[in-house]
Amino acid sequence: MELQWPLILFTTLVAWSAGLFGTQALLAAGGHAKKSQTPAWVASAVLLAAGGIAVFFHLEHWERIFNGFGHLTSGITQELIAVVVLAVVAVAYLIVMRRSDDGATVPKWLCWASVAVCAVLVAVMAHSYTMAARPAWDSVLWILYVLGNACALGPCTMALIMAAAGDETAPAGLPALAGAALGAAAAVAFAASLQASAGAFAEVGFYFDPTHPTAGMADAAAAVAAQAPLLWAGAVLVGGALPLAAAFMGRKTANWRLWGTVAVACALAGAVALRVVFYELGLSVFMFY
Amino acid sequence: MTQYAIVTDLERCVGCMACMTACKMVNDVPIGNYWNKVMRVGPNPKYEGAVSPDVEMYFLPVGCQHCEKPECVAVCPTGASHKLEDGTVQIDKSKCIGCQFCAMACPYGVRYLNETERVVEKCTLCEQRVAQGELPQCVINCGGHARWFGDLDQGIESFVSYDEPSPNVFVGLSYDEMCATRATLGEFCEEFDESQVHALPNVGNNPAFRYILRKSAWQGGE
Repeated sequence: MELQWPLILFTTLVAWSAGLFGTQALLAAGGHAKKSQTPAWVASAVLLAAGGIAVFFHLEHWERIFNGFGHLTSGITQELIAVVVLAVVAVAYLIVMRRSDDGATVPKWLCWASVAVCAVLVAVMAHSYTMAARPAWDSVLWILYVLGNACALGPCTMALIMAAAGDETAPAGLPALAGAALGAAAAVAFAASLQASAGAFAEVGFYFDPTHPTAGMADAAAAVAAQAPLLWAGAVLVGGALPLAAAFMGRKTANWRLWGTVAVACALAGAVALRVVFYELGLSVFMFY
Repeated sequence: MTQYAIVTDLERCVGCMACMTACKMVNDVPIGNYWNKVMRVGPNPKYEGAVSPDVEMYFLPVGCQHCEKPECVAVCPTGASHKLEDGTVQIDKSKCIGCQFCAMACPYGVRYLNETERVVEKCTLCEQRVAQGELPQCVINCGGHARWFGDLDQGIESFVSYDEPSPNVFVGLSYDEMCATRATLGEFCEEFDESQVHALPNVGNNPAFRYILRKSAWQGGE
């Protein structure tokens, strides 16, 4: 399938946004990151808005977007509803936070509700791509992978913001390290799943498409092999292992300005690399034209 | 219940692609898009290790399979893709936002974006013709009498096409009169049994179209 850049950006930015908002809520539940709450909220909102703008470029008739609430079995409808719920919770979070005595305190119930809504949004968004027609996509490991993106990007970005805002960064160390570890584990698992997807397509032996007489036959194994370098070097090594190493170094040295930047940059590069592979291997089960 | 579908007797199909061009003509299908497309499957060995001339092949017309449980309908966020009471899957273009998730969810790659109208299109089973008691254009234009149209719930022997031209019966018939004649698959085609009736690979969508292949090995699974 052709690369769908608006969707690549949308899924990456939404995972990043939800991960960041979820992390700031998690830290707020523990009474941490007071100075970083507002900047983190703004950053998360900007990321969500950028993702929303990106996805509009995918729609041929974006002016009909409200039709998109029309069918509850559709992953896109569920995704739209989840985005609206997250937006409502985020606005409530901001209002409650700004009206608190120190301008940075949020009730624990709202913090945990925010974390839950972030996780649900990311899972629902990823679930909309799991289609039986596309064997490489039809895996719960894809959902876990996108959740892993949020777990890696969110805490590492939060640690970076905390360092920049002058907050004590220690409380972000464990979430960043654990999140990067989850992200790396999910990347390895989904990469293995993609690698194994070559055997999941229908086979008809030799065939010929008279409307594309110069096209070769589809070859799932060759397609998977061609993507292996980007998958393992880009998505797993750069996108999984390096953020984990950077989070480890960040927690060890407390220099989150450096290591947080490295972790976020690598996690982003890996997330985009994997999505490129995702579309390249998004072949139909009946892939002959 | 009704489930309109097309049955193709692959041993009558000569791969002339008349169904494909007739579809493009009557439905104004844009260049590069195919609501119905003929693919050649084979030549494949008749048995393990066989080499030419012990090979076989058949032509496979593929379009929307008007599935019983269409994935394209399930993923459509607007309800633009919907299933009618006659079992066909149709698209309300005025609702379509052009997200193309239906095209992604289709196992057969038979949905296309109309880049002029910026909506997704596919085979309608010529609903505009069927509503008037006519046959889908691919059935009418099938010179080999391979394509048959009918209600799957009534059994594929009941499927119909136009009748075979015969000097004794059809002398002087106009084209329109010819199109109005009917023959049934059960009476017209060679005998077959259930094991010789196939469907495209099913990933839970239950395709409605059927393919009859008696003498060659069906490729691609069910």
